[in-house]
Amino acid sequence: MTPLLELHQLAKLQFDNREEYLFRPITSKVAQGDRIAVIGASGQGKSTLLRILARLERPDEGYMSLDGVSDKDWKPAQWRKKVCYTAQHPVMLPGTVEDNLQTVSRLHSLPFDAPAAKGYMGQLGLGDLDWKKEASSLSGGEKQRVALVRSLLLQPDVLLLDEFTASLDPGSREGAELCVRQWADTSKAAVVLISHDMEQAERMCSVVWFMAGGELLEAADAGRFFAAPETEAARQFLKRHAGEGETKNV
Amino acid sequence: MSDYALALTLVFVGITMLLSIRQKLGLEKEIVVGTVRSALQLLLVGYILHIVFGSRHPLLIMLIITVMIAVAAWNAGGRAKRVPRIRLAVALALLCTESVTMAVLLGLGIIEATPRFIIPVSGMTIGSSMVVSGLFLNQMKRETESSRGEMEAYLALGATVRQALAPSVKRAVRSSMIPTFDSMKTIGLVQLPGMMTGMIVAGAEPIEAVRYQILIVFVLASAAAITAMLMGYMSYRLWLDKEGRPYI
Repeated sequence: MTPLLELHQLAKLQFDNREEYLFRPITSKVAQGDRIAVIGASGQGKSTLLRILARLERPDEGYMSLDGVSDKDWKPAQWRKKVCYTAQHPVMLPGTVEDNLQTVSRLHSLPFDAPAAKGYMGQLGLGDLDWKKEASSLSGGEKQRVALVRSLLLQPDVLLLDEFTASLDPGSREGAELCVRQWADTSKAAVVLISHDMEQAERMCSVVWFMAGGELLEAADAGRFFAAPETEAARQFLKRHAGEGETKNV
Repeated sequence: MSDYALALTLVFVGITMLLSIRQKLGLEKEIVVGTVRSALQLLLVGYILHIVFGSRHPLLIMLIITVMIAVAAWNAGGRAKRVPRIRLAVALALLCTESVTMAVLLGLGIIEATPRFIIPVSGMTIGSSMVVSGLFLNQMKRETESSRGEMEAYLALGATVRQALAPSVKRAVRSSMIPTFDSMKTIGLVQLPGMMTGMIVAGAEPIEAVRYQILIVFVLASAAAITAMLMGYMSYRLWLDKEGRPYI
């Protein structure tokens, strides 16, 4: 499949030590319909990588291309319209829930797709939420879901999700996963998500990018990665997570 | 005012000094430097104005206004040193404000086209606009720190830099203009403005002094609005780089 988004030797140096890499050059691609889980221990630069893909952060080396056109030839706003990043701690914009949901239509002078917004809100368990409520007064989980709907209404080609279910209870998490999956299937968009929940990564994604030791150590088919990871670091990582999962289940 | 009376005003400096010593504030050096500098600067300006008023040469007037703008821009721009070309932007805002103000005042014949009117009114306009610019920059600095998440949320949804910055700029424009309008509401009730007081002390009719003060108040209000708007307008290119990442 033709790649949508290509990463060419993309690297980032540590923020506080410009001599060391946060992650070493990454060359990879995201194709239409891909669902990629970015996994790895904390501090490997997963969020930074996603922010770079959304051009909210600048890489120190390398470049990207979208639809075969180099990032330099894209206007940043046009790029971000196609590659949308949803933060782990989403920020509600001033105003009501409705104002937040209408942000995309306001920014891009498009008609507000109220039925779609209602549909997503329902799928995410927010069907009864009063749209006239001040967005700042929502709970963390509600904010995370409203921010997700905001992003879905943009209809990006690549949706970047940074721990998008971190503040959700198991029931809401399932709803959010289903909503994203269905949206991606219908819109043929690619999804790149960061998750510390290996079961979620396995459920949702077909490809895994495993980051460790300051580099993209494995980029593999999800089934193969979870069954038999190639590197020792990945095996140890999955073992640790399996242990944590068991502890949680006790 | 006689030289003797002028010399006696040092009594106020003496009171300040005494208080500083008694309260162990350690401000004695500041007081001496401040006293000497203000006296010397004002005397110098007095002599320069004396020469300018005598010659009435337009180039000399322009030179004085240029110096005023340069000093004001340097001072106000210091509040956001890390923003590239900020002092130039403030200078441009002050220059435009001064030009519009003078064009209206002279064009409509509200004031005489003489240094006696042009220089003091320009001084007040530029000085007040400098304060507005400083307030604007302070507020924008706070905005780029506290509203970074909001800006980023907009950018992530495909907003242009202008769209992402607009709510912050609007808040900064408002907050930099509010003090000017607040003081308009209480002027004469709480404080008697310096210019009017000066005119009355110098022997002018209070009603005449009030007429000029009204002129100044309205000029300063419009100057505040023009400066704040221009600073806001230029902000779209100043605070965030082309990609939408803040400089501060």
